[in-house]
Amino acid sequence: MEQNKNWQSFGELNKSAAYNQEVNNEFKEELPFVEDHSGFLQTKAPRRDFLKYLGFSTAAAAVAASCEMPIKKAIPFANKPEDIVPGIADYYATTYVQDGDVISVVAKVRDGRPIKLEGNTLSPITGGGTSARVQAAVLDLYDTARLRFPTIAGKEATFEAVDKAVAAELSGNIVIVTSTITSPTTKEVVAKFLAKYPGSKHVTYDAVSFTGMLLANEASYGKRVIPSYHFEKAKAIVSLSADFLGTWLSPVEFARQYAIGKRIDEKNPAMSKHIHFETVASMTGSNADEKYLCRPSEMGAIANALLTAVKGGEVIGVDAKLKAGVEAAAKALLANKGTALVVAGSNNKDIQTVVNAINDAIGANGTTIDFATTLNYRQGIDSDFASLVDDMNAGKVNGILFHGANPVYSWPAADKVKAGLAKVKTKISFSSKVDETAAVCNYVIPDHHFLESWGDAEAITGHISFIQPTIAPLFKTRAFQDSLLLWSGDATVYTNYVKNYWSAKLGGEAGWNKTLQDGVLNPATPVTAAAPAINASAVTAAVAAVSAMKASTKIELALYEKVGIGAGQGASNPWLQELPDPVTRATWDNYIIISPAMAKTLLNIDLSNAGQADAYEVHPPKQVVKLTVEGKSIELPVLIIPGTHPQTVGIAVGYGRAESLGKAVIGSGKNAFPLACMNNGTVQFSCADVTLTPTGATYPVALTQTHFRYDTTQGNRTEVMKELTLAEYKHDPKEIIKERASEYRGQMMGGDKMSDEQVLENFAKDATIYPVYDRPGIKWGMSVDLNACNGCGACVVACNAENNVSIVGKPEVLRGHEMHWLRIDKYFSGDMENPKVVFQPLMCQHCDNAPCENVCPVAATNHSSEGLNQMTYNRCIGTRYCANNCPFKVRRFNWADYTGADSFPDNQEGIVNDVVMNMNDDLTRMVLNPDVTVRSRGVIEKCSFCVQRLQAAKLDAKKDARPMIDSDIKVACQQSCPTNAIMFGNANDKHSAITKVRVDNPNRSFYVLEQLHVLPNVTYLAKVRNADEAEHVEKAEAKTEKKEA
Amino acid sequence: MHLKYESQLREPLVYGNKTYAQVTEDIVRPIEAKPSRLWYIGFFIAVTLLMFGAYSVYREVTYGIGEWNLNKTIGWGWDITNFVWWVGIGHAGTLISAVLLLFRQGWRTGVNRAAEAMTIFAVMCAGQFPIFHMGRVWMAFFVMPYPNSRGPLWVNFNSPLLWDVFAISTYFTVSLLFWYSGLLPDFATVRDRAFTKLRKKLYGIASFGWTGSTKHWQRHESLSLVLAGLSTPLVLSVHTIVSFDFATSVIPGWHTTIFPPYFVAGAIFSGFAMVQTLLLIVRKVFGLTDYITIGHIDLMNKVIVLTGSIVGIAYLTELFMGWYSQNKYEGYTFWYSRAYLFSPYGWSYWGMMACNVLSPQIFWSKKMRRNVFVTFFMSIIVNIGMWFERFVIIVTSLYRDYLPSSWSVYYSPSIWEIGFYAGTFGLFFTCFFLFAKYFPVIAIAEIKYVLKRSGESYKPGFDAIETQPLDKFVHDHAHAH
Repeated sequence: MEQNKNWQSFGELNKSAAYNQEVNNEFKEELPFVEDHSGFLQTKAPRRDFLKYLGFSTAAAAVAASCEMPIKKAIPFANKPEDIVPGIADYYATTYVQDGDVISVVAKVRDGRPIKLEGNTLSPITGGGTSARVQAAVLDLYDTARLRFPTIAGKEATFEAVDKAVAAELSGNIVIVTSTITSPTTKEVVAKFLAKYPGSKHVTYDAVSFTGMLLANEASYGKRVIPSYHFEKAKAIVSLSADFLGTWLSPVEFARQYAIGKRIDEKNPAMSKHIHFETVASMTGSNADEKYLCRPSEMGAIANALLTAVKGGEVIGVDAKLKAGVEAAAKALLANKGTALVVAGSNNKDIQTVVNAINDAIGANGTTIDFATTLNYRQGIDSDFASLVDDMNAGKVNGILFHGANPVYSWPAADKVKAGLAKVKTKISFSSKVDETAAVCNYVIPDHHFLESWGDAEAITGHISFIQPTIAPLFKTRAFQDSLLLWSGDATVYTNYVKNYWSAKLGGEAGWNKTLQDGVLNPATPVTAAAPAINASAVTAAVAAVSAMKASTKIELALYEKVGIGAGQGASNPWLQELPDPVTRATWDNYIIISPAMAKTLLNIDLSNAGQADAYEVHPPKQVVKLTVEGKSIELPVLIIPGTHPQTVGIAVGYGRAESLGKAVIGSGKNAFPLACMNNGTVQFSCADVTLTPTGATYPVALTQTHFRYDTTQGNRTEVMKELTLAEYKHDPKEIIKERASEYRGQMMGGDKMSDEQVLENFAKDATIYPVYDRPGIKWGMSVDLNACNGCGACVVACNAENNVSIVGKPEVLRGHEMHWLRIDKYFSGDMENPKVVFQPLMCQHCDNAPCENVCPVAATNHSSEGLNQMTYNRCIGTRYCANNCPFKVRRFNWADYTGADSFPDNQEGIVNDVVMNMNDDLTRMVLNPDVTVRSRGVIEKCSFCVQRLQAAKLDAKKDARPMIDSDIKVACQQSCPTNAIMFGNANDKHSAITKVRVDNPNRSFYVLEQLHVLPNVTYLAKVRNADEAEHVEKAEAKTEKKEA
Repeated sequence: MHLKYESQLREPLVYGNKTYAQVTEDIVRPIEAKPSRLWYIGFFIAVTLLMFGAYSVYREVTYGIGEWNLNKTIGWGWDITNFVWWVGIGHAGTLISAVLLLFRQGWRTGVNRAAEAMTIFAVMCAGQFPIFHMGRVWMAFFVMPYPNSRGPLWVNFNSPLLWDVFAISTYFTVSLLFWYSGLLPDFATVRDRAFTKLRKKLYGIASFGWTGSTKHWQRHESLSLVLAGLSTPLVLSVHTIVSFDFATSVIPGWHTTIFPPYFVAGAIFSGFAMVQTLLLIVRKVFGLTDYITIGHIDLMNKVIVLTGSIVGIAYLTELFMGWYSQNKYEGYTFWYSRAYLFSPYGWSYWGMMACNVLSPQIFWSKKMRRNVFVTFFMSIIVNIGMWFERFVIIVTSLYRDYLPSSWSVYYSPSIWEIGFYAGTFGLFFTCFFLFAKYFPVIAIAEIKYVLKRSGESYKPGFDAIETQPLDKFVHDHAHAH
């Protein structure tokens, strides 16, 4: 091989030195700078480096020049925390606690931040139900108004400094004022603290207390407790103005029980009967089967009359209308002796004692009322606090600690509280925000949010619900219990205190862990107690005292709580402020509720006159009236609400909070607590002798629904809402079917020859000239039982939280720009002064023949193969044609950049409300659900049936290689509902709950606006009311007779 | 093709003792003269309005449709009301130029140029609303069916809004071509008279090298006929399709089959009214009373009373059907939301009735038809009435439809909504002032075409055929060619 090598020159052949040099030299020619060549490579900045520097400096200059660019940091999980998988949610059982209210929940935690609360299905109390306030509580965690550090005299301080200062100041005679404590460990901690400082005491203060009931029970049965109620066992329920579905004691629990009695088995229809006496239209009253209007001052007379009646006596002392009511109530109660229940909302001890006597007479004790298991939600006694106020003013108190209690805001004589506090040396508040009371305290040591806390709650004796943190404290906050432990010289951290306490009871750490995971500890067997004997002399005295109450003849005032706002706890939460009140449909304000009759005399508005009613309804500015009672006055706008007593007006408490509580409270209503009256040291939320004077001014109230007559000269409209009485239903179960068939029989070819059932069955295919398609596979469907729905609004807020639904603020609600994907419509029927009310949750109906879909020019909304009407946000150009063409008006348009998701800079300031800006704060935005797109300005949005949950459920089933089943999925509204009114699932699955509901309820099912042939996928079950049977049967018979004749 | 003779009974179409040169002089003079003080004032006002409109639109695009007072129930308000109103106005031009051309109506020559210009400007104004009523106008190109990289994503051919896109853009294109082709000989005339180089150059370009050769004229005639043939169905189709926006929906008050003819009649009605408004000003300001005669005004008023009455019958038919159909929703919409005076928007319905149905009836009187002031007043009234009509249809149908829970609070426009509308007036009049200054406002060539047949000074030159013996007429006619 060597020999065969070709060579071109002798140099190559000989491998001469000259040749080698020439070959290795890259450049054959002489290079011009060859003398510098070696030095060039050794310079500090050779060519490549020069290019690097050039590139870097250009880039740096470019970056520096574009200084407007926001810097967004994305920090990778270099060290992934254990148990956190990005994009996968973790769920922790914990407990919602707020001022004595306790609901077991499961917190959904995404990437370390809680974003949604769901009811804990392991709790037998709620069964997984929640309330609007529970749903909204997660937003409070990210409230920008929360105190971020402890303060001394309003200035930032360290915990060490505060502890040092407090330790120096605290001696004896300290008072701890808290709202009701349900936590056994906290009670121990408080006791420890009290023991450390002799002469100290603990006062429980509830803004809306149950003093009357607690004292009455003490007088009647010797126990200052509130028994548990069993509405599910009651076949007859009489409520004397107790709003037990909305705000009274434990509304989630009661709503759940109540709904059990209200559900109907179509084959064997029976339901409980609820008779309600009320002063001002309330949510519970709206759900009643029969409602009687009375003045607040007549409540005692009604109780007395009812007691007489159930004992077989003659009804006296009430007017004719109420007499009928009392007789009806007595009849219902006596007919269901042992399964009847009377509750009263009054805070008067005597009235509650009479109610105890009634319950005793009808055998409620031991059946529908259980004194063995007490409800611990409210333990405060008003007179305790009243005497504390006196003590403070007398200078007998050295130090005072506030936790949960906010008397400077909610005590009727707040000035006296303030004056008293001025005389107290050491005032410490544990409020997480600077509330009205914290504002006058020297020290504020903010407590954790419950989602950052450890704890426990025993709201019902024997039922423990545990609190565990779902996120590390966001700010420099400290548990109230930790402060107390520290100050009482106990080195234990409260976390360990709870753990030790329960580990000991639950058999060690394993038991504790297991229980903590469940979140609830339930008693093994329900305790049933024999009916305690009632103290007859107490009853006699109470009856005499009630008889002595003088009835007023002038206008009276009734103060009430709203489901969302409560006693003011919800006022700083935008989700709750924007939640329309179930009855008035108003947001962001309180107002004076008056009856149509009073509107006529006071405001000269006659609602029976079409023009006047229209003018009142369509213009948001409402007349402002000055209300004066006992020298105190308030000016508020007036809303005319049917179902209110003609001589009674109502005002919601909880509004007019301090501006330091957040943007949401600013300009939102006025504080009505000062209007409450005192009676022997007990706060009465009603007053007689009120004067009303129109001021001539107007004030806009942001209502989300207007009212006007719906029936036309061409006949009554029946397609939206169907309701009937139980008697009518029993008389003719097919009534709804008949009505449905009559609505669209004429639209079908050959419809006149079909039976009602055939009309219903063939409507989808025979009322159109287009072919009907098979819909195999999954077909999502929903069903709403109007008998179970009570209008509480938990679903509305749940939808807000789950789907990142924007808050738009009052100015936008006024313009009809609210964004709720799910709303609860309210309809009146019957008499204008005392109408029947029906609530109807309405969300996108996911029509199979959706009118919105074919009008979109760009096909941004279309139908999925699973029956979903889907909205493609990034395809939407915002013509709003779909919204116009939606008969249900469920489509919502992003009128402004409510979310900050728009790419136009600086387009929110001055356009959207401060509250909305606040909702776009980096902190507040932590509540957003990362699974749901945040919609930008200019696109339409609407209910998606929680498509993110549907996809997740399908995926889970797919991963497990099994068909998807009901338990895989619960949409947000369904999950939150305390009464299980909403059913959801695959309607093509024969075994699904939704199929079962539809098959089991053929007689009550209907679709809203069915005759339009839009083919909705949401079934409603008609409202059946257990109204006076005899009357209706007679009417029905008369009708048939007429037909026959 | 054309009759050489016109009955002496017919009014002359051109007054005065005109020659061809005089016609040219009369019409081109305003173009060559300096604009009057009045023109400057008018133009300034128009541009101011346009600027305000531009700012209103800027706000709406930047901050969102929330700058307007629309709400969850009333998704369309002033925006689409104005859109339909302007489109309606844009009907008269094409009707006059195309349909009347096909029907050989000689009187169109005096008014067609301005009417066509009005059409084009009105359609330009109309187009602003569907574009800027979009929440995301920067994505407006999604409505164009173009091949894209988004998979099989295509526009929705079922949507009447998409039909609108096609209908309006076609109408605009054809109207523009028609107008411009008519302008060619006149631009050439202006070019030929030009006294500055720039003017000569610009009008030279604008006239596309028109020389006035026979071939040019022949092609011009053919093109006019073809475009007239194309535009005629468009006159009917555009507003029919606009009416489909409503008629194909499910909303009571919208969902009616009567809409297409009713909308077309209403469009012609409002279009003629707008032509009257403009021409009454133009003929006065530019001294063109010889060309735009009382006879023209009279004829157009006849069209107004005819179409106004058609619209009136349509209103009554709707009311009748609202009752006769026993449809609860329509009954409520027509008899309560609209016809009941004390309902929230009752005033708009009765405003519409008064303006569109009752007041045009005075044109049954010839004296009124030929009264310039009455005509001017009525032309404004009619356009107010037609605006009310669209407002009534859109807002009173939407604000109370099927679900009473969503019935709306009272809707009144925000300043920016009004500003947008005012801005389109600005756009319209800015364009019209420029047109009036730089374009021959009357078709010179076409006037010349009818001058020697229908001109006042020429008509008596004809033998009065009416007085001829029949034999002579038959003989002449038989030997005409």
